[in-house]
This record gives sequence, C-alpha cells and structure tokens, in this order.
Amino acid sequence: MGNEHIVKSFDDELKRLTNLIARMGGMVEAQIATAIQAVVKRDADLAASVVSADIRVDELEREIDDQVLRVMALRQPVASDLRLVLGALRIGADLERAADYAKNVAKRAAVLAQVPPLRPVHSIPRMGAMVREMLKDVLDAFAAGDVEKAVSVWNRDEELDEMYASLFRELLTYMMEDPRNITGSTHLLFIAKNIERIGDHTTNVAETIHFLVKGVPLREIRPKGDVSSSTIVTAEGRDGEGSSA
Amino acid sequence: MTGTDQLANPALYRRRARRNRLAVALAYAATAFGVGWIAVILAVLLYKGIGGLSLAVFTEMTPPPGAAGGLLNAIAGSAVMTLLAVLIGTPVGVLAGTYLSEFGKHDRVSAIVRFVNDILLSAPSVVVGLFVYEIMVAPMGHFSGYAGAVALAVIVIPVVVRTTEDMLNLVPDTMREAAASIGLPRSHMIVHIAYRAARAGIVTGILLAVARVSGETAPLLFTALNNQFWSMNMNGPMPSLPVVIFQFALSPFAEWQKLAWTGALIITVTVLGLSVLARSLTHRR
Amino acid sequence: MSASVQNVQIQLDAPVPAGEAPEILEEKISIRNLEFFYGDSRALKKIDLPLYSRKVTAFIGPSGCGKSTLLRVLNRMYDLYPGQRATGEVMLDGENLLSPSVDINLLRARVGMVFQKPTPFPMSIYENVAFGIRLYEDLPKNEIDARVESALRRAALWDEVKDKLGAAGQALSGGQQQRLCIARTVAVRPEVILFDEPCSALDPISTAKIEELIDELKRDYTIVIVTHNMQQAARVSDFTTFMYLGEVVEFGPTGTMFTAPTDRRTQDYITGRFG
Repeated sequence: MGNEHIVKSFDDELKRLTNLIARMGGMVEAQIATAIQAVVKRDADLAASVVSADIRVDELEREIDDQVLRVMALRQPVASDLRLVLGALRIGADLERAADYAKNVAKRAAVLAQVPPLRPVHSIPRMGAMVREMLKDVLDAFAAGDVEKAVSVWNRDEELDEMYASLFRELLTYMMEDPRNITGSTHLLFIAKNIERIGDHTTNVAETIHFLVKGVPLREIRPKGDVSSSTIVTAEGRDGEGSSA
Repeated sequence: MTGTDQLANPALYRRRARRNRLAVALAYAATAFGVGWIAVILAVLLYKGIGGLSLAVFTEMTPPPGAAGGLLNAIAGSAVMTLLAVLIGTPVGVLAGTYLSEFGKHDRVSAIVRFVNDILLSAPSVVVGLFVYEIMVAPMGHFSGYAGAVALAVIVIPVVVRTTEDMLNLVPDTMREAAASIGLPRSHMIVHIAYRAARAGIVTGILLAVARVSGETAPLLFTALNNQFWSMNMNGPMPSLPVVIFQFALSPFAEWQKLAWTGALIITVTVLGLSVLARSLTHRR
Repeated sequence: MSASVQNVQIQLDAPVPAGEAPEILEEKISIRNLEFFYGDSRALKKIDLPLYSRKVTAFIGPSGCGKSTLLRVLNRMYDLYPGQRATGEVMLDGENLLSPSVDINLLRARVGMVFQKPTPFPMSIYENVAFGIRLYEDLPKNEIDARVESALRRAALWDEVKDKLGAAGQALSGGQQQRLCIARTVAVRPEVILFDEPCSALDPISTAKIEELIDELKRDYTIVIVTHNMQQAARVSDFTTFMYLGEVVEFGPTGTMFTAPTDRRTQDYITGRFG
C-alpha cells in the first residue's frame, strides 16, 4: 500500500506477510472446493485428501503468526503498518477457521457417501460456489486494499444466510416426511451450517480489511439473512417463522 | 606487513614510503633544532647562574661595583610592580573580554576592539615603555614605580582580554540557555555560571600575562628606571630584576656579571613555573 | 492577569470506563496564530495549538520542521538571540506571554526547560539545585535543604546522590546529570516543563528512567516534549503534534495518532515512508 518505506527490508517483510495471506487464502479456497466436490460426488477419497491437507493450512497460519511476531518485535510498526500486521494476524486466524470448517464438510461428506443420496444436496454446490466467490473477492480486496470490494463481500453474506435458512426449512420438511432421512439430513444440515460459518469468517476478513485500510472499524449493523435460529417447527404447520426468539 | 609484491604498483608504493620517511626525518630535525636551543639556553643559564645562587641573593641589596651583595631590592621591586600591573590589568582585561564575548559578540565596536587588542598583543614592549614615558614620566618630571606598573599593565591587558574572551566563548551556549531557563538574569548568569565555568581558563590567562611581564625590560627602562637601594616608594624610581640584569650584565665587573646570571636564572625558573602551573590548570578543566 | 481559562471537553479515544465522567481538559497554554521569524525567514506558520494542563504533549516531525523553535517560543528562549521574533498569541493562563510587558525571568521561572545535552552548572550537586531556589526565595538554610531534597527525590536522583551532595554536578553520569537538570528545574516550582529531546544523548536505561519521571511529573505539571524518537513520543505523551515545514499538520490524542492518523503526511512520517 502507498509509497515505500525508507528502509526497504521493512517493505520486504510486509510483502512477505501479505504473500503468506494470499497463499493461505488460495489454499483455503481449494480446500472448500474439494470438500464440496466430495459431497456432490460422494467421494470418500477426495474427502480424505481434504482432511489430510488441513495440516498444511495450519502450518501456513503458524508461519503468518511467526512473521507477525517478527515484524512487531523488530520493526515496531505504527499506524497503517501496525494495522496491516494486526490485520494479517486476524485474517490468518479467520482463514484457519474457514479451513477447519472445510475439513468438517469433508468428514461429513465421507459419512454421507455411505447413506442413500438425498434430494436437497443440490443446494450445497450453490452455497459452496457462493462462499468461494466471497472468499476470492475478499482476498482480492485484501491484496488491493479495496474497501468497497470488501464491503460488498460483507453485504453478500446476507444472501448466503438466506440460502442456509431456506435449506434448513427444506431439510426439516424432508425429515418430517420420512424419519429414515434423518441421519443423512442431519449431516447435510451440518455441512450447510459449516459453509454458512465459512461465510461468517469471510465477512470477518472483510471487516478486518476495512479496519486496516481506513483505521476505523466497520460499524454499521450487518443485515442478517439467517433466521433458522428463530425457526419453529410444528407438526401441523410443517414450518413457520416465529419472530420471537 | 606481508611485503609489497601483492600491490598493483610496488614501485609507486616504495617511492611514497621513501618520501614519507624523508618528511618525518625533516620534521624531527626541525623539532630538535628548536628544542635544542632552549636546552642550550637552559644549560648555560644553569651552568653560569647556579654558582651564584645563595641565601644572600634573596636577603641582600644590589651591591656597588666590586662589593658582594644580592638582588633583594630588585626582586621586591619586580614583585610589587608586577602585582600592581596585574591588579590594574586584570579587571580591565576581564571586563573587556566579557563585553566581547557576552554582549557585543557580533557588533562592529567589538570587531574593532578585537582587532586593536590583537595589535596591542603583539606591540613591541619598547613602544609601550616610550608611550608611558610620554604620558606619565615626562609630565611628572621623574621616573616612578607607578609608571612601571602602568607600562606592565598595558602589556597585561590584551593578554587577559584575549584569554577571557576565548574562555567565555568556550562556555557552551546551552549552559547560558540552561541558566536563562530557570529565570536567571543575564548578569547573574555571567557572574555565577559563565565565570565559574571559565575560571580555570581566565586564571591561566592571568598567569601567562604575569609570566610575560616578569621578563620585560624595555618598558621599565623608560618608566621605573632603576634603584640601587631598597625602595618601596612607588612614586620614585624602582629597581626591577630585568633592568638590574640588563645593567649588571653589560658592566665590566665580574661580581655584577655573576649576579646577572643568577637573576636571569631566577626569572627563567619563575616564568617556567608559572607556565607549568597555567598548563596544569587548563588541563584540570 | 486576567483569568479566562477555557474548559474544553475532548472525547479521548481510549474507552472511558463505565460510570466515569469523560476527562475534562484544561488549556494551560493556548497558541493562536503564532508565526516565528529568524530574520526574514518564516520558521513557523500560523500555529494554533492547545497544550493541556497535567498532560504530556509531544512535538514530532522531521528535522527543521520547527518543533524546537515552537518549544523555545514557550519560554521565550529565542529572546537571547538577536533577529528572532514571534507574532501572534501564546496565552499562558490567559496572559499573552509574547507581550513585551512580560517579565522574561519570571516567565522562565514558571516555564522551565530541560535540554538535549545535560547542562549541570559548574558547581556542586547541592548548589545546582539550590541556586534557582535562592534566586526567587529568601529561605533559611534548613528549608532550602528540604527543598533540595524534595526536588532531587522528584527527579529520582536522591538515593544516588544523597551521600555526595558536595560533589561536582559535572562528575555525574549523563543520565544522572539529566535528572539533576530536571531536579534543578523542578526546584524553582514551575507550572510548565519543556523537554527538548531530553534523551537523545542517553542510553536506553537512562532514557527509561527519564520517561518514567516524565510520567510522574505530569501529575503536577504541564509537559511539552520535543523528540526525534517517535516511539518515545508514543510512550510518554498523551497528545501528539505532528509538524512539517513550520506547520502543525495534525494534533490529536497519541493513541489515535499512532494507530489511525488522518493526514497522509503524518502517516508517511510515523511509518517511516517520508522523503
């Protein structure tokens, strides 16, 4: 960002940090894609490869932590540099959590491959594509210091939440129709929840980008599209939304 | 050194090394030449003067030709006139030096005063003697110790002005600012801070001035003249060591010549002592 | 002197603990439309700046930005030198200290200063401190003794020198000399203390001691510090002023200045991107 430091090696160290974030981001993107593939294709081997690759993501996060510590101790960054370094630390943590959720998705994909296919599974690739797009955009926003793009990602989370809520309702109905669907549906529900959580971490990254570029936190209230936490199911009405929590 | 063979141009290096050795040798020779003469002077003085050194030199008056005696009246006269010269010259010199350094550092008057002072510093002392003869001895109608002291004071003043100014200039401005920063008025600052910081240097200047005047003969010849007897009357002719040496050395009498050598030794040792003292004072700073 | 103290309320960036009222800041010195000239060249341009009571305000900026010049206006140190003059207003408790009717020595007794290089006077440790006291107060010996001790204690030097008060001030170590100078300043009971790069000649331990001292002193005094060391400004000050080319570019709570400054030039300077 901006012009260069008088001390060139400081620029190099910050550059190394942003490169690490970019690498880690790319890796998490791939993990999510593979996990979704494993769900769709009912491929237990693919799922296993996601689980084993998670270690590499964790290693990258540790590398980011080390680099942050190093820059803090040796350069004592202030202002925009300080925000960048702290931001990198937080983004690293968010990406690591996102990768963990991808791993969980993969684990459940392996289980799901052993039960009969379920109809609502078609929603999963849509949610997956959506969250991957969000993650990609937020990483681009980080690389370019583009606040507008970050805010747009932040706003898009509402849509993802809505997709999750609608899948939630669908699965409830499905489970009520035939109790044999319950095992598969529950796993699917958790998979959807995991994807939704990845979206939340992506919005965290967007907020961090806003802070590290502008110096002030993103204070507006984010629109919420996930109403599943207040959804009540009754035997008669099948589904219904209670406005009271 | 591992030899010159790995150098790009060993010949050039050897030429330079040769030139260097030559220059160093010349410098040593020049130093030896200068210091040598001082050594010779001191040696001759010691050789000729130490024999005459006895208690009588410091207790008896200058003798008439052919008789034995000492230099008491000459030493006393020199001491009294030098003391008075310093008493006159020091306040004038210190105050003028203070003006130059503390008040008029950059104005035109100071530049002129500084220039004139430098001329005075190197003025031939015989001129100073003649000057005081004209303004004091001639109007009063007789030689006097006062006139001698004034002539010496005229030589003391520029030395003290110079050293005072230099020493006050060495007091850092931050010290003056520090004094001002606690609300110290300027006059207080000069007296309590600047003088105190420059004290050793100013005292050194005064000592050097004393050393300078204690060997002066020419200005005293025209002013205090001489006196063969004990005289503490400043209003009349007064004896002094340099003039007595001058007179006795030129005389045909062996005793007088011997006393002259002894007197010269005493002056030299005194001046040397003062210089060493001044040196050690500045070093202690 | 006419008292027109302004009470200005500023919302500090630091979160105020629940139940506590936000801090009320009192302007000890108000600089208004100040300009400063070295001969014909203008070194300070239209400076407007508050200096708050019992707070530490740091002036930072590249060499030649005018921060030391501004500091030296506050006790009119520039008066020592011909050809330097200031216009505008510097109100100290409602009185314009640039006014010709101000007694400069009394002003300097109210606005003390500690310099870049330690400047102990050529006298004993005791005399260094007692000197300023005797200047304005006629006290019996035992009271002066007490004042000297309390000043040396305030400067965190007492324990190190109590057994050698008669020793020369210049025989102390650099850090001790600087603390002696602080004791000397404090002994005169000023209201404002100006620090002109007080640690630039000191090692890190001595620097830390001085910084701790500044933190202690701000309970009773208004403190202004000029420093080249930005980390030091960040450590010791409550407010930071960034100056550039004779102007105040940005002034604000130090916490904000070092995390999210608003001006690009401040940002570039404190992150080491200048030039």
